[in-house]
Amino acid sequence: VVLGGREMRTAYCFDLDGTLTTTELLPSIAAEVGIAEEMDTLTRITMDGLIPFTQSLQLRAMLLSTVPLETVSDIVSSVPLDTVIMTFIESRPDACFVVTGNLDIWLEPVFASLPCRTFSSAATLQNGSLRVEHVLDKRDPVRQLRTEGFDRVVAVGDGANDVSMFGESDLAVAFAGVHQPARAASEAADYVVFEGRQLCQLLEGL
Amino acid sequence: VIAAAGLGSRLGHGLPKCMLQVEGRTVLSRLIDAIRPHTDRIHVVVGYREELVVEHCALYHRDVVLVRNPDFRINNTLTSLSLGARGLRGQLLFVDGDTIVRQHTLEAFVSRGKRCPTLIGVTHASSEDAVFVSTSGDGDSLQVESFSRESQGAFEWANLMLAPSELASQGDGFVFQAIEPLLPLPASIVEVVEIDTENDLAAAQASVRRWDATP
Repeated sequence: VVLGGREMRTAYCFDLDGTLTTTELLPSIAAEVGIAEEMDTLTRITMDGLIPFTQSLQLRAMLLSTVPLETVSDIVSSVPLDTVIMTFIESRPDACFVVTGNLDIWLEPVFASLPCRTFSSAATLQNGSLRVEHVLDKRDPVRQLRTEGFDRVVAVGDGANDVSMFGESDLAVAFAGVHQPARAASEAADYVVFEGRQLCQLLEGL
Repeated sequence: VIAAAGLGSRLGHGLPKCMLQVEGRTVLSRLIDAIRPHTDRIHVVVGYREELVVEHCALYHRDVVLVRNPDFRINNTLTSLSLGARGLRGQLLFVDGDTIVRQHTLEAFVSRGKRCPTLIGVTHASSEDAVFVSTSGDGDSLQVESFSRESQGAFEWANLMLAPSELASQGDGFVFQAIEPLLPLPASIVEVVEIDTENDLAAAQASVRRWDATP
């Protein structure tokens, strides 16, 4: 698409958990401390928007704070990424962004393997305990990218915390690769897509 | 592009019409099966009770893209088609989601469409609330001359056409109204059943039973 004599610049923002990763990360980590099901429940009600994302993240950070970071690293680096979406990102790394409410401290190994920029919540480890410093509002990266000269933002995600990112974007895709997208997410989206291949064909054409 | 956003109100089953069961399978599944051999990109435009279509496709048709038309109550099929066509290039098949098309007649239609950028599907008049077409010529020279709600001709609009993606631009209304200014256009006969009323549904059951027996 051409805009005023130059190519229109589009940014593609991808959620991480359950969109780019083929499983949810936190329940996998929780399995280490024997609370996989509890974490799964908490993740699900968070996805559905039944508790605010910020509260849920604090709670989840607290529950998982006893898992050593090296263990988290091992688990996180073993979680497979959707290969088709990864190919899409690799072919245009400067236009793709991973936008996740999850904590940077846990995600380092995934972030290191991504060829694109990432936006996340932030936490630090202080005297052996995890401290959430900043919870990402998913609107902010979209606003930020517009100031960097992107004319259009296309967002892809599956949870209730993606709704704010969808609202701020020009086009939104609810991705149901791992599970049904949260109802709020599909209702805020322009498209609902079930597989990485269809997602990327769609993104390429838009 | 399958336009399946509309209300099923005239049938009153509380379902989108594409989710009605005809001989044990939904209209949508039957339509997707007929279309799939011709393309790997199927966009289904959803609106009325979209969650039912999302669930159905999550289970049975994970390779389709669902395109949302949240304003389906105040807009019409042309809006659905233009939403559905966004991101697609080249020649597109547009079809209403309340239509079942007999597979081998669609094959012939698509094959003729390789020689005609725009090709209108017509069918022998049978449904209760039809858009009739007046035609000229026959066989490969069959053409649609005009559409009409009243005059009962031998053919009706089959709610199906092949056209360049650009045709589905902005605007609202019914699809036949968008192509009216372009007439006359080449036409080809397809066997379809359109389901608007209870009688249509009964007729569709009978037709599909016959088609399934002799595909």
